[in-house]
Amino acid sequence: MGKRGIEQFIKRMLYLSICLGSLFLAWHVNAGEIKPMMPPQLEGKTRDCLDCHRYPNVETNAGAFASQAFCLECHQKDACIRTVDKINVSLKIDPLEIRKGRHAFVGCIQCHTDVARSPHQSKTGAQCLSCHPVHNGAGEIHAPHLRVRCQACHSVSKFVYLDKATNEVRLSHTNGKGLPIGLTDHNLQDTGRADFCQRCHTPGNTVGAADAVLPSKSFICIMCHDGSLTMGGPLFWVALILLILGLLLMVHFWFQGSVQGEEKSMHRKMGLVSESIWGTFFSRDFFTILKTILLDIILQRRLLQESVKRWFIHSLIFLPILFRFLLSIFTFFVSRIGPESSLAVILIDKNSGFTAFVNDLCGILILLGIVLAALQRLIIKPPHVVAEAKDNLALLLIGLLIFFGFVTEGVRILMTQVPPEVGIYSFIGYPISRLLSPMGVQWSAFYPYLWWVHAVLGAIFVAYLPFGKMRHMFNTPLTLLLNYKMK
Amino acid sequence: MTTQEKQSPETFIRFSPLQRLLHMVVMIGFTGLAVTGFSLKFSAQWWAHGFAWLVGGAGHLAYLHRFFAVITYGCVLVHIIWLFYFKLVLKGSITGPQSLFPKVQDIKDMFQHMGYFFGRRSIPRFNRFTYWEKFDYLALFLGMNTMGLTGLFLWFPEFFTTFLPGVFINLAQVLHLYEAILAVALKFVVHIVTTHLRPETFPVEKTIFNGKTTREKMMHEHPEELDSIEV
Repeated sequence: MGKRGIEQFIKRMLYLSICLGSLFLAWHVNAGEIKPMMPPQLEGKTRDCLDCHRYPNVETNAGAFASQAFCLECHQKDACIRTVDKINVSLKIDPLEIRKGRHAFVGCIQCHTDVARSPHQSKTGAQCLSCHPVHNGAGEIHAPHLRVRCQACHSVSKFVYLDKATNEVRLSHTNGKGLPIGLTDHNLQDTGRADFCQRCHTPGNTVGAADAVLPSKSFICIMCHDGSLTMGGPLFWVALILLILGLLLMVHFWFQGSVQGEEKSMHRKMGLVSESIWGTFFSRDFFTILKTILLDIILQRRLLQESVKRWFIHSLIFLPILFRFLLSIFTFFVSRIGPESSLAVILIDKNSGFTAFVNDLCGILILLGIVLAALQRLIIKPPHVVAEAKDNLALLLIGLLIFFGFVTEGVRILMTQVPPEVGIYSFIGYPISRLLSPMGVQWSAFYPYLWWVHAVLGAIFVAYLPFGKMRHMFNTPLTLLLNYKMK
Repeated sequence: MTTQEKQSPETFIRFSPLQRLLHMVVMIGFTGLAVTGFSLKFSAQWWAHGFAWLVGGAGHLAYLHRFFAVITYGCVLVHIIWLFYFKLVLKGSITGPQSLFPKVQDIKDMFQHMGYFFGRRSIPRFNRFTYWEKFDYLALFLGMNTMGLTGLFLWFPEFFTTFLPGVFINLAQVLHLYEAILAVALKFVVHIVTTHLRPETFPVEKTIFNGKTTREKMMHEHPEELDSIEV
């Protein structure tokens, strides 16, 4: 080993000692920093931070019970109270009640998500919607209930109020006399009982609810509104049965003639017709049929060739009805496939910008079409127009249906006190509500009657479909399709 | 078989449009049920993740499973209604030789067919439905009822446990799964092989889709039926 070797050795030793020294220094400095925190003393027991500030695996029963046991440690004592305006409100929870209820196997913090904070309090209340979707589909309850908090109906406490800031109906922390009450009863309201709706739906309520309980929207309302699979009462059953009977009679009438030479046997006729439909559907003719449907049935090409004015009036009535029907069908499926999706909530909420605007736009277009048709038939009377009573009846029915729809909408907006920035999307309904507001009528008493007028007109409209003038919406497309086939 | 001369083949209608439609709906419904159901049951598998992703989550899989169940069971109901129509209006025979009703002749046919496979006996003269076609149909028809029942237990457990002990829900879970595996194995292996992947029809038996069959095919596959038509 020469002189050079010794120098190198010294250099390496120096590097090594610097590295080791800095490592030791780093360890020494940090070691001095770490000091165990003194656990706070509470009721003679030691508490760790993680006793409260933790999130047990509440997906398991063990975790749920751990969460409950932890909260109940205080909340099952009589001494668990809160003082509001010098009045003591009990915050005691009976563990046996929890055990009997539907949420027996749910941890407290699963719903009361924001209680693990300091100081211990909850600002948002129980979060139902983190597990449950908004009511499955639109119809079982009416869309206006979208502004009602879950607890307002599902809690056993019957005191509710309208929160002006959010325009939501919420459970009240005070009773009828304004005294604070505890809401620790974890029982749920039996919603099968008919009378619980009267918590709000009673004359003189302050939350903007109608005075009477109205049935849920019927399935037949799907012609224009999103509907549910409920029928909503005998009136709508009668309408549906008449519709089905009428359609069957119509099909029966069609099969009175001979089919491809067959005169007598209904079975043979049905067989021949279905064979022909099958053969056309699964062939290249399918695209010709699509073309016929688009151009002749939806866009009414033939009518346009005849007269632009007639086409314009017909389209004003027909296209908005078709659009609202398709939108309702779409809403029906969306609200069932993804009831928790924001799209479903937008579509079923009558006050959401899109839905309110589209509904009002379609309505006013139909009404415009009806007015123009009435002018044409009753006042201008050009020679080719023959105003049959049947036609006038159909026009009158649709016109009244739309008119009362708008009035009902206006009264609903007025009654539920929709704020202008939300309501203005209903660009017809909101002005109507403003016009009605100075009249000083108790609108919540009047609303159920208007609703029923609109509903009865709707039921008559549906029942009348296969009988009067409106039968053409089944006959004409069929004729057009058959004509194509004969060509 | 024997006719060699070129002639326009005489066509017979073997399946009515209703039967074709029902086959198509059951085909779509059953495949949908299998895909969504197995994706839910074997949710840890990569392909199940794929299907769940495709439809937007397990909730939608469950919804689609129920949708397919409703349309598939709807076909069973249509069959039952048709049976009444056939018996009461058309005055047809439910147990006749042209029906799907299982008969002793089917067992004899089966043994003769086995003998034919081993070159010992001649091929049996099948009527409108062969024994394996009857088995295919009845297995699905009866299986859909039991699957429907256990499925309803799982769909509405609160309702059924108001009058049944809770253990029925667990039983339904087990039976629904194993019968599903059985049914899927039967349909996707046995049914597809015996009807669609036979050398005579490969790759697809078109008769169930367009309803038509030819005289040659009838002579080959359903000679007894052809005889009864031509008598």
